[in-house]
Amino acid sequence: MLSLSDNKTATVLFAVATLVGTLSACSTPATGTDASTPDTAAPVTSGDYADGTYTETGNYTSPNGAEQVDVTLTLASNVITDVAVVGFGESPNSKQFQGEFIGGIAAEVVGKNIDELSVDKVAGSSLTSGGFNKAVAAIKADALAE
Amino acid sequence: MLSPSKQFEAIGAPWQIDTAQPLSAEADAAIAARIDDFDRTYSRFRHDSLVSTIARTPGTYRFPPDAPPLFELYRRLYTATQGAMSPLVGHALEELGYDRTYSLQPSAARTRVPQWHEALSWNGNELTTHTPALLDVGAAGKGYLVDLVAEVLREHGVDALTVDASGDILHRGDADLRVALEHPRDTSKAIGVVSIRDQAMCASAPNRRAWAGLHHILDARTGRPTDRIIATWALTATALEADGLATALFFAEPSDLATEFDFQWVRMFSTGRVEYSPDLNGELFVGESGTGGSGT
Repeated sequence: MLSLSDNKTATVLFAVATLVGTLSACSTPATGTDASTPDTAAPVTSGDYADGTYTETGNYTSPNGAEQVDVTLTLASNVITDVAVVGFGESPNSKQFQGEFIGGIAAEVVGKNIDELSVDKVAGSSLTSGGFNKAVAAIKADALAE
Repeated sequence: MLSPSKQFEAIGAPWQIDTAQPLSAEADAAIAARIDDFDRTYSRFRHDSLVSTIARTPGTYRFPPDAPPLFELYRRLYTATQGAMSPLVGHALEELGYDRTYSLQPSAARTRVPQWHEALSWNGNELTTHTPALLDVGAAGKGYLVDLVAEVLREHGVDALTVDASGDILHRGDADLRVALEHPRDTSKAIGVVSIRDQAMCASAPNRRAWAGLHHILDARTGRPTDRIIATWALTATALEADGLATALFFAEPSDLATEFDFQWVRMFSTGRVEYSPDLNGELFVGESGTGGSGT
């Protein structure tokens, strides 16, 4: 969830940590993930965040050396409404991995049964009309008869 | 969650409208009239529509006042997708069998989809076609009609509502609407849940309108169905833009679309991998082996 329940520093660090986690997973295992340890870890407290825009700089070590990204978050009513990530990677690999994050977050997902979720609606492709369904059924019947 | 519900079929798909109070007979009639007006203008599935008239005879045609937002969005997305998303795919869809009678029988003919400037001029209220052109506004039309139906309801004093035109959803009210993202390969499952309020969310996938190894989402540059992406979702202020962006996500990189549009998105590749915008208000069900985080 991107809804916030922690303080802003922790959230910004979460974003950086997520980023670094992505980068680390793309890098060679030998680099480890210790570079992602935030050096300004703040105690997690509950409470509301002030609306506004926050920027943090994340540093990590890749096989190419020290790397840096700036993450800017906009908060409104405890929800992240905007994220901007600026990468400073110099090597082709760093540029590629940072670019992939800037373009969006990639993940493998697993389906959960909709029946077991508490949702109001389901969004997928449009259900088809009776006419379309009849046509598909007719074609299948023709194909079986051939 | 709002209730009661009004359910009906329109423009080839089931609809459901949820409101706090039952709709008046006047509102009911106004919705039906609005949908019929839209269909008479834009449907390529009826012989008496303006779009069908234009297909028979090139020329200059005046469109109703609802046309500018639709054509302007199409023009922006045509540019943003470098010509892949085009309203000129109507003829190609017919050749593939997605025609008025749902023949679903691909013909041998493959006519090149004309480029916008070859076939169309839009001056803000009149469309001029330079060649016989069968328009298909299926990539954004249903979302737009969701906005237009919501506008009719607003005129009848109904502000809190959910209009769900089967994959194109607009929700206004005091509470969030939680929407599951349907898995395109197993429609009993979801890959995530997002919350929307005072905004629209539109989904697109080729899994249902599919026949003979083909489907209805065409790349106008090739005239062929796309195959790299198997589902998209777009969230933004209007269902018109959300619907159009959901289709554009099949053809364009989200980061390129984001320079032109303010929206959130999710898309799923044929490999099963999912990409989503960092500012998504929701949760994706990230697997154990996932490298991206949902934050939960």
